[in-house]
Amino acid sequence: MDVVDQLGSLKEGKLSRRKFTKSLLTAGIGVATAPLATRMASAAAEDQGTFFTWGGYDIPELFVPYKEKHGELPNFATFGGSEEALTKMRGGYVVDVSHPCNSGIPRWIASGLFQPIDTSRLSNWQDVMPELYNLEGNIVDGKPYLAPFDWGQTSITYRTDLFDLEGEESWDMLWDERYTGRLGSLASGGDAWWCGAIKAGVDFKNIDTPEAFEKIAAAMRAQRPLIRLYTDDTTTLEQALASGEMVAAMTWNSSATTLKAEGVPVRFANPKEGALTWVCGLMIHKDAPNLDRAYDIIDSLLSVESGKFMINDYGYGHSNGKSFDAFDEETLQGLGLSKNPTDILAAGHFQIPQTQEWETKMNALFEEIKAGF
Amino acid sequence: MSGESATSANSGSPKPPGTGRLGRLLQRSEAARGLSLLSPTLLIMFIGVAVPFGILIVMSFWTQIGFGFDTSPTVANYENFGERPIYGALLKRSLWMSSAATAATVLLCYPMAYFVAFHIHRNKMIWIVLITLPFWTSYLLRVFAWKVVLGYEGVINSALMTLGLIKAPLEFLLYSQSAVVITLAHAWAAFAILPMYVSLEKIDKSLLEAATDLGDGPVRRFLRITLPLSMPGVISASLLIFIPTTGDYITPALLGGPDGAMIGNLIQKQFGAINNWPMGATLSIILMLSIAAIALVFMFVTNFVRKRIS
Repeated sequence: MDVVDQLGSLKEGKLSRRKFTKSLLTAGIGVATAPLATRMASAAAEDQGTFFTWGGYDIPELFVPYKEKHGELPNFATFGGSEEALTKMRGGYVVDVSHPCNSGIPRWIASGLFQPIDTSRLSNWQDVMPELYNLEGNIVDGKPYLAPFDWGQTSITYRTDLFDLEGEESWDMLWDERYTGRLGSLASGGDAWWCGAIKAGVDFKNIDTPEAFEKIAAAMRAQRPLIRLYTDDTTTLEQALASGEMVAAMTWNSSATTLKAEGVPVRFANPKEGALTWVCGLMIHKDAPNLDRAYDIIDSLLSVESGKFMINDYGYGHSNGKSFDAFDEETLQGLGLSKNPTDILAAGHFQIPQTQEWETKMNALFEEIKAGF
Repeated sequence: MSGESATSANSGSPKPPGTGRLGRLLQRSEAARGLSLLSPTLLIMFIGVAVPFGILIVMSFWTQIGFGFDTSPTVANYENFGERPIYGALLKRSLWMSSAATAATVLLCYPMAYFVAFHIHRNKMIWIVLITLPFWTSYLLRVFAWKVVLGYEGVINSALMTLGLIKAPLEFLLYSQSAVVITLAHAWAAFAILPMYVSLEKIDKSLLEAATDLGDGPVRRFLRITLPLSMPGVISASLLIFIPTTGDYITPALLGGPDGAMIGNLIQKQFGAINNWPMGATLSIILMLSIAAIALVFMFVTNFVRKRIS
């Protein structure tokens, strides 16, 4: 920990230890493609449930009820993209709860690695907004596989003092040649490719056509020389925006909210073409070794306490309708949220689940483009 | 190998410690004894290297279909490697970057190894420990440390800006191939110093004295005696660095940026987001074969050169 602290303070001065370890963790998990390493990591507290999630959700603030009940936090393992997580679990990595998003639901269920959720075991389920779990492919035989937790947008976070905005906010900002080498992007095709589709004017309904592939690939190729860094580590993007290394980057809501809280002059754009919208949630592994704790993890995440933290500190929407009661309409609007998620989700472009073949093809192509081909 | 002669040579010695039929069988030939000593290692090598390698080879002839595999053998993946330019280009780039890193490491570490071998006479152990000190921290932390040094608001940029030498931070330092090469050269330094130190240490000092007596100046003496005799160390250091760095994954992932990606990153993506395991297996095998080929050529050439100069 000492070394980590020193490095962290060296790096930014204002960087908190939690954030630095968070970024280390994300990277570390990336290295540890061998399931053994993560198994060792989760062996710390054998009897706690394991939550396999995006970097940034592995924090005590989201597990207050869980900790009250069990005295300890669950074990965490983090990933940078949900495709990576799915492949890892298909490779035999067993966790209790994982954290996919709406576009992955049918494929995650088809992998046969998950079990339907018995909603009667979740005390907060009656407050969960039905719009969020009535998603395409989620309800099988009357039972949901995914318990929705967070929802939000993928859009552009930009420095209001460094980015000279011409006209309206738009996806063109990330294709602005004036800022060559000072733009950033998320690395996973699950976000970037879809944003490219919005930019290229491709309707999501037609995203699985050769013409769509061609158009989006052309847009991504045009953007590639402008991009300083593609990464799934949001901390890296946030630091680059804070230092002025980047003037605009594709991010989720949380980056803008976090940076604003640190006093960095940023805005989370509301592009005129519409942002990319998504819902993510929790699925239970079919062989979850601690099934009771798995339900406790989900219940804790769905609680109002967690919801308030998600809205206030990360700027994400929460699935529990009661979480919004603590905020007035003005605050929510400032965060780009609403008590009625459908308003927000329908205003943007909502991802449509695709086949595994499409995902493989898209990711392979996007990797080639990122590498400069 | 020569089991017969070993047995006859052994017959006169006192009764071997191994008793029972199995013990006697094992004692009978030198080869069997050697094998039985090796067996734990062999077993681990078999389970840990040969079996996964076999799986990789078999898998490279499969085809990915959705979540499953089509197991009918095909060379489509290898054809794919030839057809799509990304694979060859990334492989070439990886080989180039790791050659650069290897050359940089060996050149920078040779003087250090030389110094410790020839000019330190007391407390050599402490010097060796000092040299390996950076390796007491994790590899990941060392990579992050370089991110701090090379970064936009990093040590180098802030120093140059404070001195007024530059107005805006130098952006090419981080997220570039050079960042990866620099980091690799530092991170693998101990693996270069130690073998070169050992072979320099072994050089008979009287040879150097003889060369001086016979009229060689320091430069000629170094080129004719020290360098050829330390070649085994240089070769093993080069291979020790070249082989693992070609497939390195974490350094380019953190410091490489879009232009600094290496083949290891692509292999990881094949097993991750792209979800095409057979293609990942194919790439791994091609990478291994290229490294093996280059290592062989390298060894052949250095052997040839060594024979010529000695």
